[in-house]
Amino acid sequence: MAENKRYWSGLDELNKTEAYKEALAVEFQGQQSVDEFLGDERLKETNTGRRDFLKFMGFSITAATLAACETPVVKSIPYVNKPEEITPGIANYYASTYFDGQDFGSVLVKTREGRPIFIKGNKEYGFGGGVLNARINSSVLGLYDSARIQSPMIGKSASDWNTVDEKIMAALSAAKRVAIVSGSVISPSTTRAINEFKARYNADHVQYEAISYQGMRDANQNAFGKAAIPMYHFDKAKVIVSIAADFLSTWLTGNVFAADYAKGRRPEGAWMSKHFQFESAMSVTGTNADARYMISPSQEGKLAAAILDRLNGGNAGVEGVEEGALVKAVAALKANKGNALVVAGSNDVNVQMIVNAINMSLDSYGNTIDIKNPLRAFAGDDRAFAKLVNDMKSGAVDAVIFYGTNPVYSYHNAPDLRDAMSKVATKVSFNLVADETASLCDFCCPDNHYLESWNDLSMVEGRVDLVQPAITPLFNTRQAQTSLLKWCGNAADYYTYLRQTHNAGYTADMMNTDQSWNAAVHNGCMMKAVAEAPAEMEAEVSAPALDVAGAIAAVTAIKGGSFELATYLKAGIGNGSQAANPWLQELPDPVTKVTWDNYVTMAQSDMESMNLNTYLAQRDHASLVKVTANGMEVILPAYPQPGQKPGTVGIALGYGRGAGNENIGRAAFQTKENGEHIVGEDGLFVPIGKNVFPMTTVQNGTPVYANFSVEVVAAEGTYPLACTQMHHTYMGRDSVVKETSYSAFKAEADKPKGKASWNMAHGLAVHEDVNGDGVINAQDKKPISDFDLWHEHPVEGVGHRWGMTIDLSSCIGCGSCITACHIENNVPVVGKDEVLRHRDMHWMRIDRFYSSDYSLERGEEEGLGAIDTYGRMEHPSANPQTVHMPMMCQHCNHAPCETVCPVLATTHSNEGLNQMTYNRCIGTRYCANNCPYKVRRFNWFNYMGYDKFKNFNPSQDSLSRMVLNPDVTVRARGVMEKCSMCVQRIQTGKLDAKKAGTPVADGAVVSACSEACPTHAITFGDLNDNKSNVRGISQNNRAYHALEEVGVQPNIYYMAKVRNTEDQEA
Amino acid sequence: MQREAAIREPLILGNKSYKDITDDVVGPIEGAAPRTWKILVTLTGLVAFYGVGCILYLLGTGIGVWGLNKTVGWAWDITNFVWWVGIGHAGTLISAVLLLFRQKWRMAINRSAEAMTIFAVIMAAIFPGIHMGRIWVGYWVFPLPNQFGSLWVNFNSPLLWDVFAISTYFSVSLVFWYIGLVPDFATIRDRMVKPLPKKIYGILSFGWSGRAKNWTRFEEVSLVLAGIATPLVFSVHSIVSMDFATSVIPGWHTTIFPPYFVSGAVFSGFAMVQTLLLIMRKTMKLESYIHIKHIEYMNIVIIVTGSIVGVAYLTELFISWYSGVEYESYAFINRFSGPYSWAYWIMMTCNVITPQLYWFKKLRRSLTVTFILSIVVNIGMWFERYVIIVTSLHRDYNPSSWGEFHATTIDIGIFIGTLGIFFTLFLLFARFFPVLALNELKSILKSSGENYKKIDNHHH
Repeated sequence: MAENKRYWSGLDELNKTEAYKEALAVEFQGQQSVDEFLGDERLKETNTGRRDFLKFMGFSITAATLAACETPVVKSIPYVNKPEEITPGIANYYASTYFDGQDFGSVLVKTREGRPIFIKGNKEYGFGGGVLNARINSSVLGLYDSARIQSPMIGKSASDWNTVDEKIMAALSAAKRVAIVSGSVISPSTTRAINEFKARYNADHVQYEAISYQGMRDANQNAFGKAAIPMYHFDKAKVIVSIAADFLSTWLTGNVFAADYAKGRRPEGAWMSKHFQFESAMSVTGTNADARYMISPSQEGKLAAAILDRLNGGNAGVEGVEEGALVKAVAALKANKGNALVVAGSNDVNVQMIVNAINMSLDSYGNTIDIKNPLRAFAGDDRAFAKLVNDMKSGAVDAVIFYGTNPVYSYHNAPDLRDAMSKVATKVSFNLVADETASLCDFCCPDNHYLESWNDLSMVEGRVDLVQPAITPLFNTRQAQTSLLKWCGNAADYYTYLRQTHNAGYTADMMNTDQSWNAAVHNGCMMKAVAEAPAEMEAEVSAPALDVAGAIAAVTAIKGGSFELATYLKAGIGNGSQAANPWLQELPDPVTKVTWDNYVTMAQSDMESMNLNTYLAQRDHASLVKVTANGMEVILPAYPQPGQKPGTVGIALGYGRGAGNENIGRAAFQTKENGEHIVGEDGLFVPIGKNVFPMTTVQNGTPVYANFSVEVVAAEGTYPLACTQMHHTYMGRDSVVKETSYSAFKAEADKPKGKASWNMAHGLAVHEDVNGDGVINAQDKKPISDFDLWHEHPVEGVGHRWGMTIDLSSCIGCGSCITACHIENNVPVVGKDEVLRHRDMHWMRIDRFYSSDYSLERGEEEGLGAIDTYGRMEHPSANPQTVHMPMMCQHCNHAPCETVCPVLATTHSNEGLNQMTYNRCIGTRYCANNCPYKVRRFNWFNYMGYDKFKNFNPSQDSLSRMVLNPDVTVRARGVMEKCSMCVQRIQTGKLDAKKAGTPVADGAVVSACSEACPTHAITFGDLNDNKSNVRGISQNNRAYHALEEVGVQPNIYYMAKVRNTEDQEA
Repeated sequence: MQREAAIREPLILGNKSYKDITDDVVGPIEGAAPRTWKILVTLTGLVAFYGVGCILYLLGTGIGVWGLNKTVGWAWDITNFVWWVGIGHAGTLISAVLLLFRQKWRMAINRSAEAMTIFAVIMAAIFPGIHMGRIWVGYWVFPLPNQFGSLWVNFNSPLLWDVFAISTYFSVSLVFWYIGLVPDFATIRDRMVKPLPKKIYGILSFGWSGRAKNWTRFEEVSLVLAGIATPLVFSVHSIVSMDFATSVIPGWHTTIFPPYFVSGAVFSGFAMVQTLLLIMRKTMKLESYIHIKHIEYMNIVIIVTGSIVGVAYLTELFISWYSGVEYESYAFINRFSGPYSWAYWIMMTCNVITPQLYWFKKLRRSLTVTFILSIVVNIGMWFERYVIIVTSLHRDYNPSSWGEFHATTIDIGIFIGTLGIFFTLFLLFARFFPVLALNELKSILKSSGENYKKIDNHHH
């Protein structure tokens, strides 16, 4: 039966229908080719069902959504024709020169893909060795300032050059009297252009500078018949006496002086200069003095007179100045006749006359002072300017042109000037931003930024420093000289004009063929033979006696009031021309460590007697005081300044910019906690700090930057001051800071490293008889390096080991390294509120420590308990000694941060670097807690996006973002960052060496801080290279590791500070 | 049947029968939620929401909304973390260590103490999470295979040890707690009338049938888990203390930390148990089960651990002086005389001085005193961590970086918020879970119940 069993798949099969037979013949049933399917005409008649429609919709929307989820595309457009000299990723450097009336520096402009992003010194050919300061290296940001005037303006509305030229030329032609007000003009070509203009319109040219040195020029006029500023040679001076001259920071060419000064401060040298400073407020220079004495501003002349008298055998004294100070200073000066230098910061002609007499009797001229080849800058003429203002007021002036100067801000009698300007029919400004002066002008003809300009600058006879553009003008601006020439009817472009100044026969076809010119552009300067000094001046200089009796009588007659004011300039803000530069605002003042503000520096004792708060911290805000001078009142916070002469106050100039809400840049105004600008009661943005130019006294037609009688009273309320350092002494921790006196150093100068009493190597006591005296006691010590939990990193002798040495003797605390590091490494600007919260982001900082009257030893002697002793050690002395200690990641070989990171985001490189992997960081901050030096910085917010930072962080502005270094990641929120020893530069240096097939040469890689240091305090290099400079210095007997006993084995060495004092003072 | 000495105080008061115990524990779960519970849970819920809001603001904006800075990189975050982890210790100690020591009095308190542990550890775990700058990559702390190349975690880092310690501790505690709950869930299941709760409790009880085999396995597992959990009581806080002890910061770098932290943890944990139980026994009418003897026992633990902590504080001071290390000695001088000395003296008063009141029997058997001191102890223990973290960091080696820490509203809000979440969870537990280990309690009824003891005495 089984064989009868049949199964059918259906009736078709059972009945063997035709259709079944047909289907059986086709192997792939129901298959249809795509072509057939799509070609089927009937398809057109079908319609999509609701469900299908929903499916299609669902798919399409999902697909579209997913496609839209892609990260936004940032387009980078390649060159159509790539310029020959630009290789993406490779930096080009152009030699140029910075000069703004205040600072002069030979620079190399680093450009990347055509964008200037960094300014460094032109060390090879530059003026004074190409040393810069914080203001010069920060000047690159001004190029990308979105507040710059972007086209010529008539009144407040934008115009075009033709219209503006036409109108101005018409106005000038109609004018009876035209004046040009400019800063010091030291450019031969500019002078030519101005002269041409003067000739065409019968114009006056008045030079005006915010900071005047006319008193000094007058004194030199009286003494030598030459109204000039001499060049000072601090490198040749074995004894320096400075009477309130801040020559290491803001006095004349402070950057060059600082470099020269450092040359005489090397304890290993044949001699070390002895520096006396007499001043009222603590200046950067004062912090570096070997002996610093406090005097009032009114005593500056008297002190000079006393020194002169004592040099001539007298014994005059100055009230309140200890006899010993004068005796020591005068004895040192006398003993070093010909190698001595006395400088005074006063702009009072009488004081400068006496100082000239002192220097003459010390034989300084021709030795430490060069009057034959003086500095051409600092040529502001206050009397000429005052006369012009009077003329303007009387309506005699029809047109005035302002070039590179902002007198409406800095003139001591600004209301008078405003009034005068209102009487002038045509006012033209070349200023880059609509500042206090430009905003009052009828025409703004914005000049190019110096990085967009050609110019020639001759600071001294014998050299012409060139300014060359590093980028084409960003905006519709035109160089001021071109404008002047144009208005004279000279159509020459300024470049041609400039070439013709130096080569009368220059024509356009010689543009690239003049090899000497090409060399000059490459080097940044042209050198010429110095003309012989006129013989009659020789005679003047050697004139035996200068009659200064009148001057002495005048200075003796000066009476000081109950309070005296000395205004000063800060290393960052200077005269205020870069007030909108957030890097400079956030640069901690080298002395006070305050950012984003000016304030009244006062003596602790004065503050106590006025019941003012003398302890500033996060929530302990400064008391306000009201200072009244010249009938003007300002209310400012009081800062307790050790070393401030009681009865004197100091206020920085350069603040209070944009008080009339001129559009000078967003960072120039105060911001609230949420980052919005603070709006005052008058509805205007509140500027940072107060302008105290009007508080200065005018003598002989020139401001002396002091006021001998001011009223200081406590005012209602408090004000937060954002300091980066809240604790001011090093609490006797001599393994952080090591310092000694020159005599103590000399006594043990030959001892090997770790053996001298001023730099003893640390050891840890062990329970074995190490010294072999038969007893086991605390003297049995083994070196720190013997104690290790970890395996050695294989760095010694293997490949590179990058390291640094920092000489505390050379560091003057100027802060150039801070801004250089800030710029090089895209460090965010965090603003006042965050600094106040103790969250400044500086990778590189300078710790400033004051000495204290107390030490553990003294506490013990006096029978004080530990609590009391430590309490007193927290307070600096009334006139302390100061140490500046640059501090950044120490790149420890046994780094405590590396072991604690749970995700290995910070690790040791095989080249000795402690490297931070931002991508890997999860932000536990454990590393920062465990850092003994507290150098790690955390990204508390998204600095490049969060609104709190929009008004000052350059990375938040589409224009100023251009300044960011493309080689350095801009860090994200929530990651840790810190000094990388400029690893991007190390990589570039290694790559260059690899391409050249040579080892990395010593000096080929330089960190930004080391490069920016005017005094060569910081040396960078390969510690494994036996011939390297850094290796040599690290073996010096002054070299030590900060906090050596923690055992972290840093790659950064400090060099003990040596002061030229006789006895070691704590 | 086990017999107990007559002079021992009974552990279960009143004439309780087995059924009474079941009724007392399950009754509140079956009935409608009382008004007080509703008010309380609303209040704590609101606080919890506020805390969650603060956390979201923190995550959206950045760690900068806290008061931390370049010098003080941890403050309330890690203080709260250590504090909550410490609180968690009591639960495990009670359930595991006391089980191994056959302390029967633990049966009345172990369930809620363990619940407290679980919730406290959850609260603790919030902080290492949100204190990260980039919480969205926080999973990198786990040694997960990844596609980032050879990237791996750093086994040298105490923070990584923390990750393991806390997660192990949390999972073991959770399992231990749950195992204990199984027979009790079954009891509830058996009594439930409504189908949905019955179903839910049925699932939760894992099909417990109450057979002898179930009970044997239950006992075995409990013992094994107690064995596993006991070392964890000591390891977790030892490892947490190594976050500090293995660092180089004066005031942190201290070998005394592990035992000192463990006793501090037990100290604060018992205090928190006291706080919770005193409220719970009153509102849920559990006076028969958690009575004065239990409170007294716990107070004795508190005075012992508190004194250990006190000795540790003094030892630290002594060693800082004896070491002759200037940084170390300054760190401690600064602790008791510097800007944060107020915190130090709060800590000293709350942790060392006030617990000494428990030497007086009258005081340690007083409910009011116990309640007040339990809160005081936890305030003190919070300040202990604050002192260790903030005071040590704010002035370490380099005086130039010495600074201050000031809490912001977000710092405070998140801490208060975790208290809100914690109490909300505990209230939910008290409402839906058997708050006493009822089946375990039944096992001691006949040996330690008041009426049975009387009967027993009567026989003799």
